[in-house]
Amino acid sequence: MSTNIVQIENLVKRYGSLVALDHLNLNISEGEVFGLLGPNGSGKTTAINCMLSLLKYDKGVIRIFGEEMRPDNYQVKQQIGIVLQNVAVFDELTVYENIDYFCGLYVSDKRKRKELVEEAITFTDLNDYRKMRPKKLSGGLLRRLNIACGIAHKPRLIIMDEPTVAVDPQSRNKILEGIQKLNEQGSTIIYTSHYMEEVEQICTRIAIMDHGHVITSGTKEELKKMIKTGETITIEAVPLSPENLADIRTLPHVFDLHYEEQVLTVRCTGARHNLIRLLNYLQSQDIPFGQVSSELPTLNDVFLEITGKQLRD
Amino acid sequence: MTVFKCYMKILRQNVGMIIIYLGIFFSVALVMQMAAGKSENSLYANASIDIGVTDEDQGVLAQGFTDYLGSIHNVIPMENDPEVLQENLFYRNVEYIVQIPADFYETCILGDTPLKVTKVPGSYSSYYVDQQISSYISTLRTYLAAGFSPEEAIQGEKNEVHEPVTKLSSDSASSDLVPYTYYFRYIPYLFLGALCYTMGYILMAFKKGDIQKRMEASAISVRRQALEGLLAMGVIGAFLWFLGILGVAIMYGNTFWGSPLFGYYMVNTLLMLIVALSLSYLIGMFIPNSNILSGVANLVSLSMCFLCGVFVPMDVMDKSVLKFSQFLPVYWYEQVNEILSRHHTLTPELLRKIQVSMGIQMLFAVVFVCLILVVSRYRKEG
Repeated sequence: MSTNIVQIENLVKRYGSLVALDHLNLNISEGEVFGLLGPNGSGKTTAINCMLSLLKYDKGVIRIFGEEMRPDNYQVKQQIGIVLQNVAVFDELTVYENIDYFCGLYVSDKRKRKELVEEAITFTDLNDYRKMRPKKLSGGLLRRLNIACGIAHKPRLIIMDEPTVAVDPQSRNKILEGIQKLNEQGSTIIYTSHYMEEVEQICTRIAIMDHGHVITSGTKEELKKMIKTGETITIEAVPLSPENLADIRTLPHVFDLHYEEQVLTVRCTGARHNLIRLLNYLQSQDIPFGQVSSELPTLNDVFLEITGKQLRD
Repeated sequence: MTVFKCYMKILRQNVGMIIIYLGIFFSVALVMQMAAGKSENSLYANASIDIGVTDEDQGVLAQGFTDYLGSIHNVIPMENDPEVLQENLFYRNVEYIVQIPADFYETCILGDTPLKVTKVPGSYSSYYVDQQISSYISTLRTYLAAGFSPEEAIQGEKNEVHEPVTKLSSDSASSDLVPYTYYFRYIPYLFLGALCYTMGYILMAFKKGDIQKRMEASAISVRRQALEGLLAMGVIGAFLWFLGILGVAIMYGNTFWGSPLFGYYMVNTLLMLIVALSLSYLIGMFIPNSNILSGVANLVSLSMCFLCGVFVPMDVMDKSVLKFSQFLPVYWYEQVNEILSRHHTLTPELLRKIQVSMGIQMLFAVVFVCLILVVSRYRKEG
């Protein structure tokens, strides 16, 4: 059984009448890539800021590495790396100087720091840009520099708050690969995002947040099993009458359907032959149809079913 | 010393701007000092012109009058031939021609007939010569009317004219300004301009994005970071102050170091530097982007310098403006500077004035520091 390196109990943070964190409870084990998923305003960043002691909270306890997290607990802070949502680097310093500066906030030994900075540059593949200033870097390179600044001191726990916002797909993949590599090297990672694909791709465990508390948590498989939707079938260019729709609704395992502009979306519980049954019905009624697709449930479906709204609302 | 070094690295980006401010400061101080070095008396003496004189009288009074003109201007004796006179005037061999008639005493001294003069049209110097002649004739007339002989009248007039003139200064103190007066008068511009720009630039860099968050979450305490920042500011300020003092040492050498008041100058500039540092830090906290940084730095430094007697001497400034200026720290710096530049020794009363002005400068610095603390706290809690 792995140890919990982050324990959050009954965390409450209010901004006047607005409750940003509502009795938040979280346990994160060593070695995990823990995804904190939720729409904008769900409390992810507030939770991160409280964990880092950047925000005072009204109630609750935060323990990191078994110690209570306080603004002056520098022993704990020493072992944490952060990659924040907004790129936090100096435009006036070069790539190398930036990484060296932020690493210097944790490592005072000059020789050791030099080695660490070199490793971070290699890790983020910024070797060709080491003498360039951030203003000359593309969005993707800038994000990589932002990550390098956060991880250069080799922290045990890395907190990443939406590190891929406004990044092109190629750079995003590179960043995600890097995060997985960091995890393989032994770092525990807390990763917040509202991009469910990313979270699905890299996180070993996921907590879905809304209105300042965790709605549900588990591995992606566990989360998907929690919901009714097992399969979503979409058929395009299919002319259907109200009678046809009523018939489809009565097919086995179908629990929801949506029909608009000749596109039929049918949600079924997890069972075999749902698609075959639906196509057989259309053939028996001599109804023509266009493109057909069948999808397994996504985290968005999980979120949709639990909260009744889309993840990106 | 990570934070300290970062301040210095960011400062490196501003070296060009600091050099520009230093260049402007040294140039203005040097030019103004050189211009002020030429006394008004010498300028007046230099305003002598070439005057042609034709003497038909050849008497004692006419000779005395010619000698008088010769004591001020360059007198060129001439033949009383209209063609020759006109030619000399046309080619500007002379600017002014005086024709003394044969009966000079009767016509010009006893009678009211003015002397016949010809001058270059539009020449300003000619007006002064007119006044000098008129003044001389009227003095001579007075002496002669009082019963003096022509020789005695000429001698009396001579004594009167060569009596030394004492120019009174508006504040009745000595008008002998020390040579480095203008140098120290302009120093606030250097401090305010350079520091507002550099502090604004550095603070803006640290405020950008989530840098502050990243630093707060790091393993170095916020207190230590602040102390390193303060140290960096102190070093930047001390460097600027050192350059200022080095400048005066190079330009004026022993004249400055030998002055019994040089210590007061040092303390006064140091206080001004502390005020400029705290003020520029306070302003830097509110600067949102680099586009307005340069404008704000110029606005603060120039407006304060214009209002507080840096660029315009306080003597000629409107009293209502000066009343307003008292609410600005540079005014009190200039007060001390004015006293130091006009006196070689300090009376107890002057010393008290200096202490009060320096104390007010310190108070300004304390107020600015308090405002910095309040704003920082408000922002952190907000």
